Amino acid sequence: MSQPYLKPLPKKEPENAPLWEGLAQHEFRVPKCDQCGAWNWVPYPACRSCLSEDMTWTPLSGKGEVFTYTIVHRGLGAFHQEVPYVVALVRMEAPGGSRDVIVLGNIRNVAFEDLHIGMPVQMTFQDIEGEDVTLWDFAPAER
Amino acid sequence: MSFPSRKAAIVGVYTSEQARALQRTVWSLELECIKGALADAGLSHEDVDGLIPMSFQAPVTVHMQWAEQLGGRPISFLSIGSGAGSAAKAALAVASGMASVVVVFFANAGFRLGPQGSSGQPGAPRVADMNHMIHGTYMSPWYAMWTRRYLHQYKARPEHLAEYSVIARHHATLNPASVMGGRGEITVDDVLGSRMIADPLHLLECPLDNDGGYAFVVASEAVARDCRKKPIWILGGAEAIYTDFYQTITPDWIGNERQAVRTSADQAFGMAGVSRDDIDVAGLYDCYPITVARDLEEMGFCAVGEGADYIHEGHLRLGGKMPANTDGGLLSNSHNGNPSGMQVIEVARQLRGECGERQVPGAKIGCALSQGFAVHGLGATLIMAAN
Repeated sequence: MSQPYLKPLPKKEPENAPLWEGLAQHEFRVPKCDQCGAWNWVPYPACRSCLSEDMTWTPLSGKGEVFTYTIVHRGLGAFHQEVPYVVALVRMEAPGGSRDVIVLGNIRNVAFEDLHIGMPVQMTFQDIEGEDVTLWDFAPAER
Repeated sequence: MSFPSRKAAIVGVYTSEQARALQRTVWSLELECIKGALADAGLSHEDVDGLIPMSFQAPVTVHMQWAEQLGGRPISFLSIGSGAGSAAKAALAVASGMASVVVVFFANAGFRLGPQGSSGQPGAPRVADMNHMIHGTYMSPWYAMWTRRYLHQYKARPEHLAEYSVIARHHATLNPASVMGGRGEITVDDVLGSRMIADPLHLLECPLDNDGGYAFVVASEAVARDCRKKPIWILGGAEAIYTDFYQTITPDWIGNERQAVRTSADQAFGMAGVSRDDIDVAGLYDCYPITVARDLEEMGFCAVGEGADYIHEGHLRLGGKMPANTDGGLLSNSHNGNPSGMQVIEVARQLRGECGERQVPGAKIGCALSQGFAVHGLGATLIMAAN
Protein backbone atom coordinates (compact mmCIF):
# COMPACT_ATOMS: atom_id res chain seq x y z
CA MET A 1 0.00 0.00 0.00
CA SER A 2 1.53 3.26 -1.09
CA GLN A 3 1.13 6.55 0.69
CA PRO A 4 -2.16 8.38 0.07
CA TYR A 5 -1.98 11.21 -2.49
CA LEU A 6 -2.02 14.48 -0.51
CA LYS A 7 -1.34 17.07 -3.18
CA PRO A 8 -4.21 19.19 -4.56
CA LEU A 9 -6.49 17.51 -7.09
CA PRO A 10 -9.06 19.00 -9.46
CA LYS A 11 -12.76 19.03 -8.62
CA LYS A 12 -13.45 17.75 -12.15
CA GLU A 13 -16.09 20.33 -12.92
CA PRO A 14 -18.89 19.00 -15.17
CA GLU A 15 -18.19 21.45 -18.00
CA ASN A 16 -14.68 20.01 -18.27
CA ALA A 17 -15.80 16.36 -18.26
CA PRO A 18 -14.37 15.70 -21.76
CA LEU A 19 -10.94 16.74 -20.51
CA TRP A 20 -10.99 14.43 -17.52
CA GLU A 21 -12.53 11.54 -19.49
CA GLY A 22 -9.83 11.98 -22.11
CA LEU A 23 -7.08 12.01 -19.49
CA ALA A 24 -8.43 8.74 -18.06
CA GLN A 25 -7.78 7.32 -21.54
CA HIS A 26 -4.34 8.98 -21.57
CA GLU A 27 -5.37 11.55 -24.14
CA PHE A 28 -5.17 15.36 -23.72
CA ARG A 29 -8.16 17.08 -25.29
CA VAL A 30 -8.37 20.80 -25.92
CA PRO A 31 -11.45 22.70 -27.15
CA LYS A 32 -11.04 23.72 -30.80
CA CYS A 33 -13.56 26.13 -32.26
CA ASP A 34 -15.77 24.68 -34.99
CA GLN A 35 -16.40 28.17 -36.40
CA CYS A 36 -13.01 29.84 -36.53
CA GLY A 37 -10.63 26.98 -35.77
CA ALA A 38 -8.96 28.62 -32.76
CA TRP A 39 -7.57 26.44 -29.99
CA ASN A 40 -8.86 27.40 -26.55
CA TRP A 41 -6.63 26.41 -23.66
CA VAL A 42 -7.54 26.76 -20.82
CA PRO A 43 -11.16 25.81 -21.53
CA TYR A 44 -13.81 28.52 -21.50
CA PRO A 45 -17.52 28.08 -22.26
CA ALA A 46 -17.14 29.92 -25.58
CA CYS A 47 -14.33 30.49 -28.06
CA ARG A 48 -12.20 33.48 -27.03
CA SER A 49 -11.72 34.50 -30.65
CA CYS A 50 -15.28 34.43 -32.05
CA LEU A 51 -17.46 33.60 -29.00
CA SER A 52 -18.93 30.53 -30.68
CA GLU A 53 -20.10 27.89 -28.23
CA ASP A 54 -19.53 25.21 -30.85
CA MET A 55 -16.20 23.69 -29.97
CA THR A 56 -14.86 20.16 -30.25
CA TRP A 57 -12.63 18.63 -27.60
CA THR A 58 -9.74 17.66 -29.87
CA PRO A 59 -6.87 15.35 -28.83
CA LEU A 60 -3.31 16.66 -29.07
CA SER A 61 -0.28 14.55 -29.97
CA GLY A 62 1.22 15.31 -26.58
CA LYS A 63 4.42 16.61 -28.15
CA GLY A 64 5.63 19.99 -27.06
CA GLU A 65 8.61 22.16 -26.26
CA VAL A 66 9.53 23.98 -23.09
CA PHE A 67 8.65 27.70 -23.28
CA THR A 68 10.07 28.37 -19.82
CA TYR A 69 10.55 26.47 -16.56
CA THR A 70 11.62 26.66 -12.94
CA ILE A 71 13.07 24.21 -10.45
CA VAL A 72 11.10 24.65 -7.24
CA HIS A 73 13.03 24.29 -3.97
CA ARG A 74 10.32 25.54 -1.61
CA GLY A 75 7.32 23.34 -2.26
CA LEU A 76 3.65 24.06 -1.83
CA GLY A 77 1.90 21.92 0.82
CA ALA A 78 2.48 18.21 0.24
CA PHE A 79 4.68 19.09 -2.75
CA HIS A 80 7.34 20.09 -0.26
CA GLN A 81 8.11 16.40 0.26
CA GLU A 82 9.23 16.24 -3.39
CA VAL A 83 11.59 19.21 -3.72
CA PRO A 84 13.28 20.00 -5.94
CA TYR A 85 10.67 19.57 -8.68
CA VAL A 86 10.22 21.13 -12.09
CA VAL A 87 7.32 23.34 -13.17
CA ALA A 88 7.17 24.33 -16.83
CA LEU A 89 5.07 26.09 -19.41
CA VAL A 90 5.04 23.88 -22.50
CA ARG A 91 4.05 25.04 -25.98
CA MET A 92 2.15 22.06 -27.38
CA GLU A 93 2.02 20.78 -30.93
CA ALA A 94 -1.45 22.04 -31.89
CA PRO A 95 -1.71 22.43 -35.65
CA GLY A 96 -4.18 24.47 -37.62
CA GLY A 97 -5.41 26.86 -34.95
CA SER A 98 -4.93 30.55 -34.44
CA ARG A 99 -4.01 30.42 -30.75
CA ASP A 100 -1.08 28.58 -29.20
CA VAL A 101 -1.73 25.94 -26.57
CA ILE A 102 0.63 26.55 -23.65
CA VAL A 103 0.14 24.09 -20.81
CA LEU A 104 1.40 24.32 -17.23
CA GLY A 105 2.71 21.10 -15.73
CA ASN A 106 5.55 19.27 -14.03
CA ILE A 107 8.42 17.71 -15.94
CA ARG A 108 9.34 14.39 -14.35
CA ASN A 109 12.25 12.03 -14.88
CA VAL A 110 14.48 14.77 -16.17
CA ALA A 111 18.10 15.51 -15.33
CA PHE A 112 18.16 19.16 -14.28
CA GLU A 113 21.28 19.83 -16.34
CA ASP A 114 19.37 18.79 -19.46
CA LEU A 115 16.57 21.31 -18.91
CA HIS A 116 16.50 24.19 -21.38
CA ILE A 117 14.09 26.50 -23.15
CA GLY A 118 13.08 24.79 -26.38
CA MET A 119 13.62 21.30 -24.94
CA PRO A 120 11.30 18.76 -26.60
CA VAL A 121 8.98 17.05 -24.13
CA GLN A 122 6.17 14.53 -24.31
CA MET A 123 3.03 14.63 -22.21
CA THR A 124 2.69 11.70 -19.81
CA PHE A 125 -0.23 10.60 -17.68
CA GLN A 126 -0.46 9.79 -14.00
CA ASP A 127 -3.43 7.71 -12.76
CA ILE A 128 -3.81 8.78 -9.15
CA GLU A 129 -4.10 5.66 -7.00
CA GLY A 130 -7.25 5.61 -4.88
CA GLU A 131 -8.69 8.68 -6.63
CA ASP A 132 -10.86 9.16 -9.71
CA VAL A 133 -8.37 11.43 -11.42
CA THR A 134 -5.70 11.16 -14.08
CA LEU A 135 -3.30 14.11 -14.22
CA TRP A 136 -0.93 15.16 -16.97
CA ASP A 137 2.81 15.65 -16.63
CA PHE A 138 5.71 15.94 -19.04
CA ALA A 139 8.86 13.94 -19.62
CA PRO A 140 11.82 14.53 -21.91
CA ALA A 141 10.93 13.39 -25.45
CA GLU A 142 12.91 10.72 -27.26
CA ARG A 143 14.69 12.35 -30.18
CA MET B 1 -14.21 64.44 -22.59
CA SER B 2 -11.14 64.45 -20.43
CA PHE B 3 -9.97 63.16 -17.08
CA PRO B 4 -10.70 65.69 -14.30
CA SER B 5 -7.05 66.47 -13.55
CA ARG B 6 -6.49 68.33 -10.28
CA LYS B 7 -10.19 68.05 -9.37
CA ALA B 8 -9.51 65.36 -6.76
CA ALA B 9 -6.70 64.79 -4.30
CA ILE B 10 -5.25 62.27 -1.93
CA VAL B 11 -5.82 64.00 1.39
CA GLY B 12 -5.10 61.30 3.94
CA VAL B 13 -2.82 58.27 4.10
CA TYR B 14 -2.11 55.69 6.79
CA THR B 15 -0.15 52.48 7.17
CA SER B 16 -0.46 50.29 10.24
CA GLU B 17 2.43 48.39 11.73
CA GLN B 18 3.69 45.91 9.12
CA ALA B 19 5.08 42.71 10.63
CA ARG B 20 5.31 38.99 10.09
CA ALA B 21 2.48 38.24 12.49
CA LEU B 22 0.31 40.84 14.22
CA GLN B 23 -2.09 39.40 16.77
CA ARG B 24 -4.98 41.29 15.21
CA THR B 25 -8.16 40.71 13.23
CA VAL B 26 -8.53 41.94 9.68
CA TRP B 27 -11.47 44.13 10.71
CA SER B 28 -9.57 45.77 13.56
CA LEU B 29 -6.62 46.54 11.29
CA GLU B 30 -8.89 47.90 8.58
CA LEU B 31 -10.66 50.08 11.11
CA GLU B 32 -7.36 51.38 12.47
CA CYS B 33 -6.28 52.26 8.93
CA ILE B 34 -9.54 53.96 7.99
CA LYS B 35 -9.52 56.03 11.19
CA GLY B 36 -5.84 56.80 10.74
CA ALA B 37 -6.20 57.99 7.16
CA LEU B 38 -9.23 60.14 8.04
CA ALA B 39 -7.36 61.66 11.00
CA ASP B 40 -4.38 62.39 8.73
CA ALA B 41 -6.79 64.28 6.47
CA GLY B 42 -8.56 66.01 9.34
CA LEU B 43 -11.84 64.35 8.35
CA SER B 44 -14.40 62.29 10.28
CA HIS B 45 -15.99 58.97 9.44
CA GLU B 46 -19.21 60.96 9.09
CA ASP B 47 -17.70 62.62 6.01
CA VAL B 48 -17.21 59.33 4.16
CA ASP B 49 -19.56 58.65 1.27
CA GLY B 50 -17.47 56.35 -0.90
CA LEU B 51 -15.82 53.01 -0.13
CA ILE B 52 -13.32 50.90 -2.02
CA PRO B 53 -12.43 47.84 0.08
CA MET B 54 -9.52 45.98 -1.45
CA SER B 55 -10.31 42.67 0.20
CA PHE B 56 -9.81 39.63 -2.03
CA GLN B 57 -13.55 38.98 -2.04
CA ALA B 58 -15.45 42.24 -2.17
CA PRO B 59 -19.05 41.75 -3.28
CA VAL B 60 -21.44 44.56 -2.39
CA THR B 61 -22.06 42.95 1.00
CA VAL B 62 -18.54 43.94 2.07
CA HIS B 63 -19.32 47.57 1.26
CA MET B 64 -22.62 47.26 3.14
CA GLN B 65 -20.96 45.93 6.29
CA TRP B 66 -18.49 48.80 6.24
CA ALA B 67 -21.28 51.31 5.60
CA GLU B 68 -22.96 49.98 8.74
CA GLN B 69 -19.71 50.04 10.77
CA LEU B 70 -19.10 53.66 9.78
CA GLY B 71 -22.47 54.76 11.10
CA GLY B 72 -25.07 53.54 8.65
CA ARG B 73 -25.13 56.67 6.51
CA PRO B 74 -25.71 56.21 2.76
CA ILE B 75 -22.57 55.38 0.80
CA SER B 76 -23.09 56.72 -2.70
CA PHE B 77 -19.97 55.40 -4.41
CA LEU B 78 -18.66 51.84 -4.17
CA SER B 79 -16.04 50.17 -6.26
CA ILE B 80 -13.33 47.52 -6.33
CA GLY B 81 -9.91 47.29 -7.92
CA SER B 82 -6.20 47.83 -7.35
CA GLY B 83 -4.66 50.64 -5.31
CA ALA B 84 -3.75 52.94 -8.19
CA GLY B 85 -6.92 52.08 -10.09
CA SER B 86 -9.05 52.73 -7.03
CA ALA B 87 -7.51 56.15 -6.62
CA ALA B 88 -8.27 56.95 -10.26
CA LYS B 89 -11.89 55.80 -9.99
CA ALA B 90 -12.34 57.63 -6.69
CA ALA B 91 -11.06 60.77 -8.41
CA LEU B 92 -13.72 60.40 -11.09
CA ALA B 93 -16.40 59.91 -8.43
CA VAL B 94 -15.51 62.94 -6.36
CA ALA B 95 -14.93 65.18 -9.40
CA SER B 96 -18.37 64.31 -10.74
CA GLY B 97 -20.20 64.81 -7.45
CA MET B 98 -21.11 61.16 -7.03
CA ALA B 99 -19.24 61.28 -3.73
CA SER B 100 -16.94 63.68 -1.92
CA VAL B 101 -14.78 61.54 0.39
CA VAL B 102 -13.74 58.04 -0.71
CA VAL B 103 -11.74 55.69 1.49
CA VAL B 104 -9.61 52.95 -0.09
CA PHE B 105 -8.44 50.35 2.41
CA PHE B 106 -6.97 46.89 2.93
CA ALA B 107 -5.57 44.77 5.74
CA ASN B 108 -4.21 41.29 6.20
CA ALA B 109 -3.98 39.36 9.45
CA GLY B 110 -2.71 35.83 9.28
CA PHE B 111 -3.25 34.99 5.61
CA ARG B 112 -0.09 33.78 3.89
CA LEU B 113 0.31 33.76 0.12
CA GLY B 114 3.37 31.55 0.05
CA PRO B 115 3.91 27.90 1.02
CA GLN B 116 3.52 27.07 4.70
CA GLY B 117 4.49 23.41 4.82
CA SER B 118 1.99 20.56 4.70
CA SER B 119 -1.72 21.29 4.41
CA GLY B 120 -2.26 19.03 7.41
CA GLN B 121 -5.28 17.50 5.71
CA PRO B 122 -5.68 13.72 5.69
CA GLY B 123 -6.48 13.59 1.97
CA ALA B 124 -5.87 15.51 -1.21
CA PRO B 125 -7.59 18.92 -1.17
CA ARG B 126 -9.83 19.51 -4.18
CA VAL B 127 -9.34 22.75 -6.05
CA ALA B 128 -10.70 24.31 -9.25
CA ASP B 129 -9.85 22.29 -12.36
CA MET B 130 -7.13 24.53 -13.78
CA ASN B 131 -5.75 25.69 -10.43
CA HIS B 132 -1.98 25.90 -10.62
CA MET B 133 -1.63 24.36 -7.16
CA ILE B 134 -2.28 20.95 -8.77
CA HIS B 135 1.21 21.33 -10.25
CA GLY B 136 2.79 22.61 -7.04
CA THR B 137 2.83 26.14 -8.38
CA TYR B 138 2.38 29.43 -6.53
CA MET B 139 3.52 33.00 -7.11
CA SER B 140 7.29 32.49 -6.93
CA PRO B 141 7.40 29.68 -9.54
CA TRP B 142 5.38 31.85 -11.95
CA TYR B 143 7.67 34.82 -11.54
CA ALA B 144 10.66 32.47 -11.77
CA MET B 145 9.36 31.24 -15.14
CA TRP B 146 8.83 34.85 -16.25
CA THR B 147 12.38 35.71 -15.12
CA ARG B 148 13.90 32.74 -16.93
CA ARG B 149 12.07 33.55 -20.15
CA TYR B 150 13.13 37.20 -19.90
CA LEU B 151 16.79 36.32 -19.28
CA HIS B 152 16.68 33.97 -22.27
CA GLN B 153 14.86 36.27 -24.64
CA TYR B 154 16.81 39.46 -23.94
CA LYS B 155 20.16 38.01 -22.82
CA ALA B 156 19.74 39.99 -19.62
CA ARG B 157 22.04 39.33 -16.66
CA PRO B 158 20.70 37.85 -13.40
CA GLU B 159 23.01 40.08 -11.36
CA HIS B 160 21.45 43.17 -12.90
CA LEU B 161 18.00 42.05 -11.77
CA ALA B 162 19.41 41.16 -8.34
CA GLU B 163 20.60 44.74 -7.99
CA TYR B 164 16.96 45.70 -7.54
CA SER B 165 16.83 43.74 -4.26
CA VAL B 166 19.91 45.66 -3.08
CA ILE B 167 18.30 49.02 -3.91
CA ALA B 168 15.03 48.08 -2.19
CA ARG B 169 16.89 47.04 0.96
CA HIS B 170 18.92 50.24 0.95
CA HIS B 171 15.68 52.22 0.87
CA ALA B 172 14.22 50.09 3.67
CA THR B 173 17.19 50.90 5.90
CA LEU B 174 16.04 54.52 5.69
CA ASN B 175 12.43 53.63 6.59
CA PRO B 176 12.05 52.86 10.30
CA ALA B 177 8.61 51.29 9.68
CA SER B 178 9.90 48.71 7.19
CA VAL B 179 9.94 45.01 8.05
CA MET B 180 13.50 44.40 6.81
CA GLY B 181 15.30 47.73 7.19
CA GLY B 182 16.71 46.75 10.58
CA ARG B 183 18.58 43.85 8.98
CA GLY B 184 20.83 46.33 7.19
CA GLU B 185 22.23 46.61 3.69
CA ILE B 186 22.70 43.64 1.37
CA THR B 187 24.90 43.06 -1.67
CA VAL B 188 24.32 41.35 -5.01
CA ASP B 189 26.39 38.44 -3.66
CA ASP B 190 24.04 38.20 -0.67
CA VAL B 191 21.05 38.10 -3.02
CA LEU B 192 22.47 35.51 -5.40
CA GLY B 193 23.88 33.54 -2.46
CA SER B 194 20.60 33.35 -0.57
CA ARG B 195 18.55 30.16 -0.49
CA MET B 196 17.03 29.13 -3.82
CA ILE B 197 13.23 29.28 -3.76
CA ALA B 198 12.28 28.70 -7.39
CA ASP B 199 15.27 28.69 -9.73
CA PRO B 200 16.41 31.32 -10.79
CA LEU B 201 14.76 33.21 -7.90
CA HIS B 202 16.53 33.31 -4.54
CA LEU B 203 14.96 34.17 -1.20
CA LEU B 204 16.11 37.79 -1.36
CA GLU B 205 14.42 38.19 -4.75
CA CYS B 206 11.05 37.11 -3.34
CA PRO B 207 8.56 39.35 -1.57
CA LEU B 208 7.76 39.44 2.10
CA ASP B 209 4.53 37.75 3.19
CA ASN B 210 3.37 39.66 6.24
CA ASP B 211 0.47 41.17 8.14
CA GLY B 212 -0.49 44.82 8.03
CA GLY B 213 -2.92 47.28 6.53
CA TYR B 214 -3.24 50.63 4.89
CA ALA B 215 -5.81 53.20 3.82
CA PHE B 216 -5.92 56.39 1.85
CA VAL B 217 -8.59 59.03 1.33
CA VAL B 218 -9.48 60.67 -1.98
CA ALA B 219 -11.53 63.86 -1.70
CA SER B 220 -13.06 66.45 -3.98
CA GLU B 221 -11.25 69.72 -4.65
CA ALA B 222 -13.59 71.59 -2.30
CA VAL B 223 -12.99 69.17 0.57
CA ALA B 224 -9.28 68.90 -0.17
CA ARG B 225 -8.70 72.65 0.16
CA ASP B 226 -9.83 72.47 3.80
CA CYS B 227 -7.95 69.34 4.81
CA ARG B 228 -5.24 69.25 7.43
CA LYS B 229 -2.34 68.55 5.08
CA LYS B 230 -1.25 69.57 1.62
CA PRO B 231 -3.45 67.83 -0.96
CA ILE B 232 -1.71 65.55 -3.44
CA TRP B 233 -3.55 66.19 -6.69
CA ILE B 234 -4.50 63.37 -9.01
CA LEU B 235 -3.52 64.28 -12.57
CA GLY B 236 -4.55 61.07 -14.31
CA GLY B 237 -5.12 57.42 -13.69
CA ALA B 238 -6.28 54.27 -15.44
CA GLU B 239 -6.66 50.56 -14.81
CA ALA B 240 -6.76 47.57 -17.15
CA ILE B 241 -6.99 43.80 -16.94
CA TYR B 242 -6.55 41.23 -19.65
CA THR B 243 -6.24 37.74 -18.26
CA ASP B 244 -7.38 35.41 -15.55
CA PHE B 245 -5.54 34.08 -12.58
CA TYR B 246 -2.35 32.04 -13.15
CA GLN B 247 -3.50 29.17 -15.38
CA THR B 248 -1.79 29.59 -18.72
CA ILE B 249 -0.22 32.39 -20.70
CA THR B 250 -0.90 33.81 -24.11
CA PRO B 251 1.73 33.21 -26.81
CA ASP B 252 4.77 35.47 -26.90
CA TRP B 253 4.42 36.14 -23.20
CA ILE B 254 6.71 39.12 -22.93
CA GLY B 255 5.47 40.57 -26.19
CA ASN B 256 1.87 40.13 -25.16
CA GLU B 257 1.29 40.50 -21.43
CA ARG B 258 2.16 44.12 -21.98
CA GLN B 259 -1.48 44.77 -22.60
CA ALA B 260 -2.72 45.73 -19.14
CA VAL B 261 0.23 47.71 -17.79
CA ARG B 262 1.05 49.49 -21.05
CA THR B 263 -2.59 50.36 -21.66
CA SER B 264 -3.05 51.86 -18.21
CA ALA B 265 0.25 53.75 -18.34
CA ASP B 266 -0.37 55.23 -21.78
CA GLN B 267 -3.86 56.30 -20.74
CA ALA B 268 -2.76 57.78 -17.42
CA PHE B 269 0.18 59.74 -18.85
CA GLY B 270 -2.04 60.99 -21.66
CA MET B 271 -4.69 62.17 -19.19
CA ALA B 272 -2.14 63.82 -16.95
CA GLY B 273 -0.37 65.64 -19.76
CA VAL B 274 3.05 64.86 -18.31
CA SER B 275 5.92 62.93 -19.86
CA ARG B 276 7.89 60.04 -18.42
CA ASP B 277 10.81 62.39 -17.85
CA ASP B 278 8.65 64.55 -15.58
CA ILE B 279 8.37 61.83 -12.92
CA ASP B 280 10.43 62.71 -9.83
CA VAL B 281 9.54 59.64 -7.76
CA ALA B 282 7.81 56.35 -8.54
CA GLY B 283 6.07 53.51 -6.77
CA LEU B 284 6.43 50.51 -9.08
CA TYR B 285 4.84 47.21 -8.10
CA ASP B 286 7.88 45.11 -7.25
CA CYS B 287 6.91 41.66 -6.03
CA TYR B 288 10.08 40.35 -7.74
CA PRO B 289 12.93 42.15 -9.54
CA ILE B 290 11.57 40.96 -12.90
CA THR B 291 8.31 42.76 -12.14
CA VAL B 292 10.14 46.07 -11.80
CA ALA B 293 12.10 45.49 -15.01
CA ARG B 294 8.90 44.74 -16.91
CA ASP B 295 7.01 47.63 -15.21
CA LEU B 296 9.68 50.04 -16.46
CA GLU B 297 9.46 48.65 -19.98
CA GLU B 298 5.70 48.54 -20.27
CA MET B 299 5.26 51.97 -18.69
CA GLY B 300 7.59 53.43 -21.28
CA PHE B 301 10.54 54.39 -19.08
CA CYS B 302 12.75 52.20 -21.29
CA ALA B 303 12.40 49.85 -24.24
CA VAL B 304 11.29 46.22 -23.92
CA GLY B 305 14.34 44.19 -22.95
CA GLU B 306 16.14 47.12 -21.31
CA GLY B 307 14.53 47.01 -17.85
CA ALA B 308 17.38 45.09 -16.24
CA ASP B 309 19.88 47.59 -17.66
CA TYR B 310 17.78 50.45 -16.30
CA ILE B 311 17.98 48.90 -12.83
CA HIS B 312 21.73 48.32 -13.21
CA GLU B 313 22.28 51.95 -14.21
CA GLY B 314 21.02 52.97 -10.77
CA HIS B 315 18.17 55.23 -11.83
CA LEU B 316 15.80 53.80 -9.20
CA ARG B 317 18.09 54.38 -6.23
CA LEU B 318 17.67 57.46 -4.04
CA GLY B 319 19.79 60.05 -5.80
CA GLY B 320 19.08 58.48 -9.20
CA LYS B 321 16.99 60.09 -11.89
CA MET B 322 13.73 58.40 -10.79
CA PRO B 323 13.94 56.95 -7.28
CA ALA B 324 11.39 54.16 -6.87
CA ASN B 325 9.91 52.28 -3.95
CA THR B 326 11.64 54.51 -1.45
CA ASP B 327 9.88 52.72 1.44
CA GLY B 328 11.71 49.48 0.58
CA GLY B 329 8.90 48.11 -1.56
CA LEU B 330 7.46 44.62 -1.43
CA LEU B 331 10.85 42.97 -0.96
CA SER B 332 12.02 44.93 2.08
CA ASN B 333 9.20 47.14 3.39
CA SER B 334 5.99 45.09 3.34
CA HIS B 335 4.00 42.68 1.21
CA ASN B 336 0.77 42.43 3.15
CA GLY B 337 -1.14 40.26 0.73
CA ASN B 338 -2.71 42.90 -1.48
CA PRO B 339 -0.21 45.74 -1.26
CA SER B 340 -1.14 47.68 -4.40
CA GLY B 341 -2.14 50.74 -2.35
CA MET B 342 1.26 50.92 -0.66
CA GLN B 343 2.93 52.45 -3.74
CA VAL B 344 0.26 55.17 -3.91
CA ILE B 345 0.78 56.01 -0.23
CA GLU B 346 4.58 56.16 -0.37
CA VAL B 347 4.52 58.40 -3.45
CA ALA B 348 1.94 60.66 -1.78
CA ARG B 349 4.19 60.91 1.29
CA GLN B 350 7.16 61.80 -0.94
CA LEU B 351 5.16 64.53 -2.66
CA ARG B 352 4.17 65.89 0.74
CA GLY B 353 7.82 65.92 1.77
CA GLU B 354 7.22 63.66 4.79
CA CYS B 355 9.83 60.98 4.11
CA GLY B 356 12.67 62.09 6.35
CA GLU B 357 15.97 60.38 5.55
CA ARG B 358 14.55 58.82 2.41
CA GLN B 359 13.00 62.01 1.06
CA VAL B 360 13.52 62.76 -2.62
CA PRO B 361 14.44 66.46 -2.53
CA GLY B 362 11.90 68.67 -4.25
CA ALA B 363 9.70 65.84 -5.54
CA LYS B 364 6.77 67.42 -7.38
CA ILE B 365 5.32 64.75 -9.70
CA GLY B 366 5.06 61.05 -8.99
CA CYS B 367 3.49 57.92 -10.36
CA ALA B 368 2.33 54.64 -8.86
CA LEU B 369 1.87 51.34 -10.65
CA SER B 370 -0.29 48.50 -9.37
CA GLN B 371 -0.15 45.07 -10.98
CA GLY B 372 -1.14 41.55 -10.10
CA PHE B 373 -3.61 38.66 -10.09
CA ALA B 374 -1.56 37.13 -12.94
CA VAL B 375 1.80 38.16 -14.33
CA HIS B 376 0.98 41.72 -15.42
CA GLY B 377 -2.61 40.53 -15.77
CA LEU B 378 -3.84 43.68 -14.09
CA GLY B 379 -2.20 47.05 -14.44
CA ALA B 380 -3.12 50.44 -13.04
CA THR B 381 -1.19 53.69 -13.23
CA LEU B 382 -1.75 56.84 -11.18
CA ILE B 383 -0.05 60.20 -11.76
CA MET B 384 0.05 62.61 -8.81
CA ALA B 385 1.40 66.10 -8.20
CA ALA B 386 2.32 68.13 -5.13
CA ASN B 387 0.77 71.33 -6.45
